[in-house]
Amino acid sequence: MKTVFVLALGLILAATPLSGHHSFAAEYEADKPVTVSGTVSTILWANPHIYFTVDVKGEAGKVTQWRFEGYPPNMLIRQGWKRDVTLKPGMAITVSGWRSRLDPSHGAGRQVTFADGSKLWVGPPAGTGGQ
Amino acid sequence: MRRPLEWLAAIVVVLIVASMPSSAQRGTALPSGSKPIPRAANGRPDLSGVWIAGGLALLFGEAEAEAIRKADAAAGRPPLPPPEPPPYKPEAEAIRQQYLARRGIDDPMARCLLSGVPRITVRPLPFEIIQLPGRIVILYEVHHAFRFIPTDGRPHPDDVEPSYLGDSVGHWEGDTLVVDVTSFNTNTWLAGVGSIHSDKLRVTERYTRDTHDTIVYEATMEDPEVLTKPWKQYATLRLRPGERIREYECLENNEDIVRFEKLLQTDPIFKKP
Repeated sequence: MKTVFVLALGLILAATPLSGHHSFAAEYEADKPVTVSGTVSTILWANPHIYFTVDVKGEAGKVTQWRFEGYPPNMLIRQGWKRDVTLKPGMAITVSGWRSRLDPSHGAGRQVTFADGSKLWVGPPAGTGGQ
Repeated sequence: MRRPLEWLAAIVVVLIVASMPSSAQRGTALPSGSKPIPRAANGRPDLSGVWIAGGLALLFGEAEAEAIRKADAAAGRPPLPPPEPPPYKPEAEAIRQQYLARRGIDDPMARCLLSGVPRITVRPLPFEIIQLPGRIVILYEVHHAFRFIPTDGRPHPDDVEPSYLGDSVGHWEGDTLVVDVTSFNTNTWLAGVGSIHSDKLRVTERYTRDTHDTIVYEATMEDPEVLTKPWKQYATLRLRPGERIREYECLENNEDIVRFEKLLQTDPIFKKP
């Protein structure tokens, strides 16, 4: 199974020369998707990736702060995002993405679902590029 | 007075039509109702504008990607040849496999180092081509990089230092801009994880504006030290009207570098054999 995964990973890496990537597979686990819901607490709108945190309430009211990486600001702007408008502290959102290999509450963000049900891409698909 | 001007206009039209066989040979047709390819004073296609390459859905979202695919189909544009792995000599391929096994953690680009040619062309951030008489300038959003490409027939300078983007000189073959790029350093990957090269690398880029909205980009990489034969990469460059090059300071907050160091120390897959 591990061999199959490594082979598949090799094929993905070899077959995506045009995706422009920053080593997704080194940092994140494409076979470990994660989805969390919570309240946006911070947003770092910076290059080469934005970062935002989401406070997620767990059992017995325990709050875990998840931190997600996303596209660079320019790529978000070109997809319709607006700084300080689209994503703001206090918003209730659901984020889907993939788990970090290093930190159990860190991830690569892929999609954000807002309270009204609308969805936006916040980061690249697994294994490909953002910057 | 008018007759000579009319003759001149007719000659110009004939010259323009005569200079178009390259797009006809490709079997491509302009979509009905599309704008003609703009031309410079010398009759060559004018490549000026903001362009972008890369995965459509990645860049624009699913809806626009689908619209572009439909426009491509309507235009009768043939699909680009599929990406091919680099035809490396065994020693170079062994090195590439090591980089693949390390999942791209060694990627120079992830450390915000300048990408080389052709990789910089296919990064998912736009670049602007400014076509001037005798010279073409390309401004890349990524890395704030620039290239000056003389098209006035001058050769490569004889005092060039090896560099990330190399030294470029261009000329026209029909409607295709051909750029010869040499004098590279060895700090870049060509077109994907582990695609190393030597300082003997020579890249020949071909920019063919086959419709108003697209350039077919072909890069041929030759490197007798690591490749067994020339290696080709293709991309469709898409015109982005209304777009502009923005600032992109990659080193502003590159946390990847810190995480790479942690991963290199803690994760067994990064232990060197």
